Amino acid sequence: MVFLFSIFARTHEASLRHCHCQISTRKFITRDEWERKLKEVKIRKEDMNRLIMNFLVTEGYVDAAEKFRLESGTEPDIDLATITDRMAVKMAVQSGNVQDAIEKINDLNPEILDTNPELYFHLQQQKLIELIRTGKIEEALEFAQDELAPRGEENPAFLEEIEKTVALLAFDDVKNSPYGGLLDMSQRMKTASEVNAAILTSQSHEKDPKLPSLLKMLIWAQNQLDEKAVYPRINDLSTAKLEDSAV
Amino acid sequence: MPATAAVAPPPTAPEQLAARLSSGDSDESLLPTLREIKNQIIGNRTKKLLYLRLRAVPKIVALLSSSSSPSPVIIQAAAAVGSFACGVEEGVRAVLDAGAVPHLTVLLSHPDAKVVDSAARSLRIIFQSKLAPKYDFLLEENKTFLLSLLNSTNENITELAASIVAHSCEKPTEQTSLCDAGVVQKLVSLLGGSSNQRDTSLDAISAIVKNNPEVATKFVSISNGKAFNSLMGLMQDRYPRTRLLACVCLISIEQAFPVYFQEMQIKTKLILILLDLIEEAGRVGDEAPFVLKGLIGESEELHRQALSVTAAERLCGYLRKGKAVLEARRLEGILLVLAELGSKLEQSRAQLIELQVPSLIIDLLKHDCAQVRVAACHVIKNISRSLKHLCAGRFGSESIVMPLVQLLCDSSTSVQTAALDAICNVAVNLTTKKSVLLQSGGVSILCQLARSMHSEVRLKSVRALRNLMFLLDRKDKDLILTELTVSTLTILISDPDPLVQEQALALAGNFVDGSGVSTKFIFSEDISIIDAVSRQLKGECSPGMCIQGMFFLANMAAENESQKDAVMDCILPTSLDLSISHPNSFLVTFLQSKERLLRLSTLWCLINLVNPDQRNSFRVSALQGAGIISQLKTMVNDPCLDCKLRVRMVLERCLENRE
Repeated sequence: MVFLFSIFARTHEASLRHCHCQISTRKFITRDEWERKLKEVKIRKEDMNRLIMNFLVTEGYVDAAEKFRLESGTEPDIDLATITDRMAVKMAVQSGNVQDAIEKINDLNPEILDTNPELYFHLQQQKLIELIRTGKIEEALEFAQDELAPRGEENPAFLEEIEKTVALLAFDDVKNSPYGGLLDMSQRMKTASEVNAAILTSQSHEKDPKLPSLLKMLIWAQNQLDEKAVYPRINDLSTAKLEDSAV
Repeated sequence: MPATAAVAPPPTAPEQLAARLSSGDSDESLLPTLREIKNQIIGNRTKKLLYLRLRAVPKIVALLSSSSSPSPVIIQAAAAVGSFACGVEEGVRAVLDAGAVPHLTVLLSHPDAKVVDSAARSLRIIFQSKLAPKYDFLLEENKTFLLSLLNSTNENITELAASIVAHSCEKPTEQTSLCDAGVVQKLVSLLGGSSNQRDTSLDAISAIVKNNPEVATKFVSISNGKAFNSLMGLMQDRYPRTRLLACVCLISIEQAFPVYFQEMQIKTKLILILLDLIEEAGRVGDEAPFVLKGLIGESEELHRQALSVTAAERLCGYLRKGKAVLEARRLEGILLVLAELGSKLEQSRAQLIELQVPSLIIDLLKHDCAQVRVAACHVIKNISRSLKHLCAGRFGSESIVMPLVQLLCDSSTSVQTAALDAICNVAVNLTTKKSVLLQSGGVSILCQLARSMHSEVRLKSVRALRNLMFLLDRKDKDLILTELTVSTLTILISDPDPLVQEQALALAGNFVDGSGVSTKFIFSEDISIIDAVSRQLKGECSPGMCIQGMFFLANMAAENESQKDAVMDCILPTSLDLSISHPNSFLVTFLQSKERLLRLSTLWCLINLVNPDQRNSFRVSALQGAGIISQLKTMVNDPCLDCKLRVRMVLERCLENRE
């Protein structure tokens, strides 16, 4: 992690220093020089710990967060108890128990679904998908009529999605129908993610962890520097290995 | 799920659930029912309306105040009440009528924290509605209560307090009272809290500061300007909603305390940030253009500044990309900003025309939403005031005129009047190629509207006809008057609304063109336009009306002998006047007027009357007898150059006649 941040800081510094050089000639930086400069950059451990804690908390890894807190002494920026509640909702969606999820959200904060019509719609859509998945066609039809159709009346923007979902009912082999993708687990994950974000926002917490943003900045900074210099790059974020660039 | 042993799961049918509420119980046995109702209505407008019709609200509200209700029941009941009030107007009304507010307020002091939370949340939702009761801040106990809420450590409660301020604080006395009690300070401290607290606090600060220079001054001096700096910082917050609210707050302060903002820097920043926000999704993007319009409104300086930061290009670009999918509200807002930009400066109008705004917005004239149609008309109305392009006949094309003419028959009166305004300006087309407008069928519609019950509609349609009539061919002028009919014109000249009279007189003046051929319309049967004009001029009429009347007479006098005679009959005192010992013509009074145009129009009438020909000496003596010549002699050094010149012209001609 230190390595990654050092690279980012170094790249950014290099970008700034070399910005006066000609476009046609790029400065060449040897690996030794690069590694030496990297060592000079100081990153605080506390900052990194907070980033990790922020990641664990936002993604909802309660146990890991608790353990990390004990081992590193880093305080989470959110009450860990609320994470448990949030994770219970997320798990319910991921397991396809949508009604349970809805009830849990309402217990947590009754305003969330009232002020997030898109989320409410997606949850009901997911409910219909689950009914179709388990073959409860009668119930699905009734649900579509009683619950999904009114959503379309309240908000015409949802009509297209409703049509796609209801269309599933017309096929025997639902999985291989044109909108069969709705039955994939990825659809559940998408809804679960939406729920997670909405709960975080309602708790005045940022819905995205900081770490991915930092990595994006690293890639951007390297791309900027590529125009001005040849230097050892990180091409694989997961290993953060320095690779020599072809000249 | 709460454990409810040995109780059957509740039914899910709303009718059955609502019936259970009437059982008279208020204990734990009601819990599953309440919970089920709550879970059905949250997020679901249709279900809310259903339960409202089943009269569930009063029963649920009753549970809030019942002393036998255990906490879990109160919590569910409060949550349900809040949900009914969320986004559904009938729901808010039902909740208010059932007396929920006092009950919920009492619950704010409940020993159970969860009950307090639930009550605070629901109260906050109620106070976000326009229908919520007005909180009387001037009552001491209310102020104390509010302060206690603001001092709470519970986030829901502090947000509630800020919501109440944002909703109810209106009068300057209230604003000052709250400011003196330290409420502003407390709100400023909330700016450092969670994002929800910040947003509600920004709303509240805007309400307290609005149009109140005293409070605005106090605000900027809090902590030596630190509070103001926080506000500036929040303008660049990561959340769009916070940015927008911060902009609104800053604009409130700027409008109450403009001296503090003399440098353009902050205002330019506001313009740029708002332009960015217009592209945000959701309600933030919908409201941002209205905030921008409020910022730049009425200020030429800010119009120029906005143009210099490419506001027009950005807005047009945005419209071009997405007008098919944008929300009506956002479209309306963007159009209103464009209309505002085109309202004062010629350079703005020129730029907007260069950016092809008229063709960009033509299809918006047919938009489903009336407000969008109105806003599109405003844009055309303002841009078409561009002299340069008007001369080029740029606005007379079919593509603009036809949709506007269609809007004259729109079902909404506000659209009709907006279209009338636009046509008014388009009809000023200074070339004589007004054919499209004439052939569009617009004339007959305008003539119909000139007979409308609404004086505003009459006024605008007559004005449009007046503009259309100007410099038209003889035959086209005749066509218009045939359509309108002389009797209608006469009636309009005596309209109850003086503004309509003025436009009607101007219309008549534009109709007469000095060729002598308009006679047949002026004297048809027993209706005489000139009689109607004469009556107006001799009665109580505004300077504007008199000016138009005199221009009409001046044009008449340019025609032929019998016209001149008719005008003379009109302006010379009648036997009636003589008997009240007013030997002078009313023209004398006009010539003495401070209004330059009135003197001038009267002089032109006289010039045309004494134009060298046979009967002039006769006329000159008559004018002499009416005191006009003597009056003229006193005007040889009129301060207005034009008038001075015309006075001398008249006097010279009179002298020629003598010889």
